[in-house]
Amino acid sequence: MNRDRFERWLRNIYETQEEEISCTECFDLMSRFVELETSGQDAAAKLPPVKQHLNQCPACRTEYETLRDLRRLEEEGRMPSSDDLQDLIH
Amino acid sequence: MILMANTRTNEEWLEDLRASGATQEAAIADLRDFLLRAVLFFFSRNLGDFERLGRNEILQLAEDCAQDALIAVINHLSDFRGDSKFTTWAYKFAINIALMTARRERWKGISLDQLSSADGDSFMEWIMRDKSSEVTPDQSAMQREIRENIWEVIEQDLTDKQRRVLIMMVFNEVPMDEVARRLDTNRNAIYKMLHDARRKLKNRLQARGFDVGEILALFTVQR
Repeated sequence: MNRDRFERWLRNIYETQEEEISCTECFDLMSRFVELETSGQDAAAKLPPVKQHLNQCPACRTEYETLRDLRRLEEEGRMPSSDDLQDLIH
Repeated sequence: MILMANTRTNEEWLEDLRASGATQEAAIADLRDFLLRAVLFFFSRNLGDFERLGRNEILQLAEDCAQDALIAVINHLSDFRGDSKFTTWAYKFAINIALMTARRERWKGISLDQLSSADGDSFMEWIMRDKSSEVTPDQSAMQREIRENIWEVIEQDLTDKQRRVLIMMVFNEVPMDEVARRLDTNRNAIYKMLHDARRKLKNRLQARGFDVGEILALFTVQR
């Protein structure tokens, strides 16, 4: 596990850019990024700074993955109700 | 039960939320339900953060997060640019608040003092804990040299704050928002610190003759 983490960290160092957007800027663009993906477009190509930030920032990446998965459920007509979701809390 | 999809257009959302009376009340109630679902969706995927809480406490926290998200969305309505569905844009606020709440709950009462400092030996031990890969003696020697150089950069070239943040987040996986909260700062500042540290590491390693891509290949080739 630690070797994996070290490798991930090395990769992050390797992929560092001189200029990277902030978490606020990423948050601002995240819904557009997810919407592009949902519609089958290449979001990473259209918004490369967002992709770069998501690769580097674990907090923003977690938020993005949650938003992406939620949006996918919605798009597929499988959005659960609050009651259904509450049943998952135990 | 799976509910009908949201049928308001973006324009209808904005219009109804800015209206008054029953129209606005209905829009606010619908929005709050969407936000609650986003919070619960996040919580259900991160139940490990709530091990100390009972079910009712978690559900109450979810309600609180949904309410906070509702306020945030209403306060930022003029920021909505229409480059996504309104609900996609609104979910972001709920998920952001849910994440910070979950991580705060998980790390409540845990001191970060021991998680913010390290020395070269513990760094080496951290890297070497998994010894399942097979390397040649030459590769092993090169790996050691690289690890020693990385530690040197961390010890000598980073500021105290950069080093502390890097050790907490990279070595000890303390969540970013928790680091920000304990250092009385914000996520942007923490990201910038880590970015500056990464740039220093990348530039210094290259200045010492290590191409970071080659280092990566050396550490990932043996599986």
